[in-house]
Amino acid sequence: MQLEEKLEQDFFSCLQQNVTEIESILGSPSDLVKRDFTIVEQVNLDASLLYIDGLADSDVIENTILRPLLTNEMNESITALSSEQIKQVLTKKGLQVPSISIVANFNDGIDAILAGNALLFVDQYKQAFSLSVQGWETRGIEEPQSDTVLRGPRDGFVESIRTNTALVRRRIRDPRFRIQSMQIGKRSKTDIAITYIEGLVREDLVDEVLQRLNNIEIDAVLESNYIEELIDDSPTSPFLTVQGTERPDKIAAGMYEGKVAIFVDNTPFVLIVPTHFWTFFQTSDDYYTHYTTASYFRFIRYIAFIISLTLPSFFVMLVSFHQEMIPTQLALTIAAGREIVPLPVLIEALLMETAFELMREAGIRMPKPIGQAVSIVGSLVVGQAAVDAGIVSPIMVIVVATTGIASFAIPDYLASVSIRLIRFPILIASGFLGLLGFATTFVLLVIHAISLRSFGEPYMAPYFPFNSRDRQDTMIRKPFWAIETRPADVKGNEQRAGKNQKPSPNKRRKTRYKR
Amino acid sequence: MSTQIRTQISNSILLAIVINIVYAKAIGVTQGAIARQVGADMWIVTILSILFALLMMWVVVIIIKRTPEKNILEQSKVLFGAWGEKIFSALFFLFFLGAYGGVMITIVYHLMDYFLPDVPTAIFIIATTGVGLYGLSKGIEVIGRFAVLGLFSISILNILILFGSLDNFHVHHFFPVMQNNLWSNLQATSHHNSDWAMAILMVAILLPMVKQKEKWNKYTQKSVLIGGGLILMWPLLQVGTLSPEVTGQYIISCMQMARSAEIGLFVHRYELIMIVFFSISALVQVMSCLICASISAKHVVGAKNINKLYIPTALLLGGFGYWIVDDHMRAMHYLEDYWPILSMSIIIGITVLVLLFGTIFKRKLVQRKGK
Repeated sequence: MQLEEKLEQDFFSCLQQNVTEIESILGSPSDLVKRDFTIVEQVNLDASLLYIDGLADSDVIENTILRPLLTNEMNESITALSSEQIKQVLTKKGLQVPSISIVANFNDGIDAILAGNALLFVDQYKQAFSLSVQGWETRGIEEPQSDTVLRGPRDGFVESIRTNTALVRRRIRDPRFRIQSMQIGKRSKTDIAITYIEGLVREDLVDEVLQRLNNIEIDAVLESNYIEELIDDSPTSPFLTVQGTERPDKIAAGMYEGKVAIFVDNTPFVLIVPTHFWTFFQTSDDYYTHYTTASYFRFIRYIAFIISLTLPSFFVMLVSFHQEMIPTQLALTIAAGREIVPLPVLIEALLMETAFELMREAGIRMPKPIGQAVSIVGSLVVGQAAVDAGIVSPIMVIVVATTGIASFAIPDYLASVSIRLIRFPILIASGFLGLLGFATTFVLLVIHAISLRSFGEPYMAPYFPFNSRDRQDTMIRKPFWAIETRPADVKGNEQRAGKNQKPSPNKRRKTRYKR
Repeated sequence: MSTQIRTQISNSILLAIVINIVYAKAIGVTQGAIARQVGADMWIVTILSILFALLMMWVVVIIIKRTPEKNILEQSKVLFGAWGEKIFSALFFLFFLGAYGGVMITIVYHLMDYFLPDVPTAIFIIATTGVGLYGLSKGIEVIGRFAVLGLFSISILNILILFGSLDNFHVHHFFPVMQNNLWSNLQATSHHNSDWAMAILMVAILLPMVKQKEKWNKYTQKSVLIGGGLILMWPLLQVGTLSPEVTGQYIISCMQMARSAEIGLFVHRYELIMIVFFSISALVQVMSCLICASISAKHVVGAKNINKLYIPTALLLGGFGYWIVDDHMRAMHYLEDYWPILSMSIIIGITVLVLLFGTIFKRKLVQRKGK
């Protein structure tokens, strides 16, 4: 009999047959634990408990299932009861598990075991009891590795979906907090949850998210990127239209702005939709520091973005085609540096960019102490040696290094990588066609970005299309007392804060000190 | 067509597109031609053209408002029948084909004469038409959003040129004011009127796609006034800074002014930055011409799917643009002698005919409204 056929079968009334079939389906794995016992002494009613070692908590099984069942006597009349009635008897006899559910076929039974539940079979019953005893080793809550902040909460998501939803719930004590769960992955059966705040979120957005998730057909979902790639609005675009984060505060903030969060089990990265281009330049501590400081930091990040995208292309374009645009002294310095370099400036730039990318990749993949050493050796020794050997000019080292540092100033690592990717076509076009190449590839890129949507919303909003109200928290961050309304896309456009929140000293109160 | 769900754009987006479609050619190529004809009165000619544009834009809005769900070509079908529609559409296509020649002259000579003299002309045409085609494939909504960026670029460009030119500004270059008689100045308006004709005929095609028809008149007039203001700054600076005599010596007079602009001691020769901003506006011109030509072609051939016409239209327009641009003398003759006459004949002829027939056969239009 095929495995699929076995799974479709209902349970048998014979306990031993059920246990054998389960073992057969799972291939008698070494981590499948089977505990046989008797629950009604008068008739010697056999029972068997099956669970996977490591997924179920054996202490909980011992204390909340086996001990009550073995110590509390049951009447022999139990044999005449239905499954539902037995479930009530088991509950009354002291089973302290959070939930008991009845399963009737092998498919559901196997799902329950693999999800970390214990499956209790009682002889002569064609149904089994799934007891919730999940318990596996998990990582403790730690500071996120990718979204670090100077000021603000230090807790980050972990690999457990339930812990992650709880971390967000702690920040949203609103009865309208909604959570909808499902499983995706034919084989992995990964738990997925979407959360949102009813009354703030657009209903069609929730429907759209659910529809896209329900349309997914894949064998396994191991990380949230699997979901991201399968629900993306523009899967071929280098721009990210779904944002992933390790920070619960970021997710909570997004939900307060009418967005939907997508949690995936076994990963600390939670997705949030819809996403706009500008959100990749925002960090959590923009909201935990003074608004002038936050706006200044954002300005620096936008400068970093422009440098990261265009500096090497601009340099190559100027040196290759438009030397007259460079101030004379600088042109002479560049020419002196390039005097012994045998390569065209485009090849020189590509060579240095490749070397930089190699060092970055090696630095990330190697163990931390060695990775740092590689970066230092790469940047100092190899760079200096390349200049001394006359392979590259000193100014090219400065250009590529500045570009690299600028790309690291973009808070979202994956967004910075995508920017690094898209600067190569601009660089090559500038190297071949100068200003024409630079302008056409840049405009193509801009048109592409403007045409993107994230779950129905324009990706470049609120600037393209222009919405003056939503600009209050994009390029700069206005003070909280000046942001009275939520973004325009929030359902009902509810007030975010009261009117006239700008603080001022109480003028009526008399001062203690007389002038 | 009228029963289909159309793409909708806002009045502000239309405003941005109108300003962009006029700006790029009007600030340089057109001003050079006007300077050669009327000298220091070029700024007066520009103002007269803006008045002409205000009038024509008002007429076009009146025409379209009679059947708000139909563009001027669809309205001409109601008034003149299927063949009337085809003839009008062919004239529109001819207009945008001709306009594309002017647009290509503007873009290619800006880049080729001042930055890339060794690059073959065909590369410029292929690159710009290719970008236009990509924008076209994304639709009018995306072109509109891009035009908003173009408007921002135009503002930056105007600020940069203003700061870079004021030091050398001399009022005496303007005197004597009205050195030509009014008739000569009116005759010279045909150069700038042909720029505005592009915007007016584009509005005649795109207006039914614009939301809130009660605001059409306000926004179209606003677009002419804002666009006109942004353009007017250039002849004023060209007369005051370069002098009309020098302005008239150049095909791309704005580029010469950009080249002489400098801010303080350290910021000079920043025309490269200005041209990057300029190129955004110029590419909106390219996209707008392509989309209007494609819509006209759709009415000519009676095609259901406009997407299939994009590439043939782009090839035709690109080919014509190449033929015009490849020879400087041909380009200048075309731009100064033929194009103003052709464009004025089409815009005045079509609008007056549709306006008159629409007034005479008002009942026919009312009966077919919404059908």
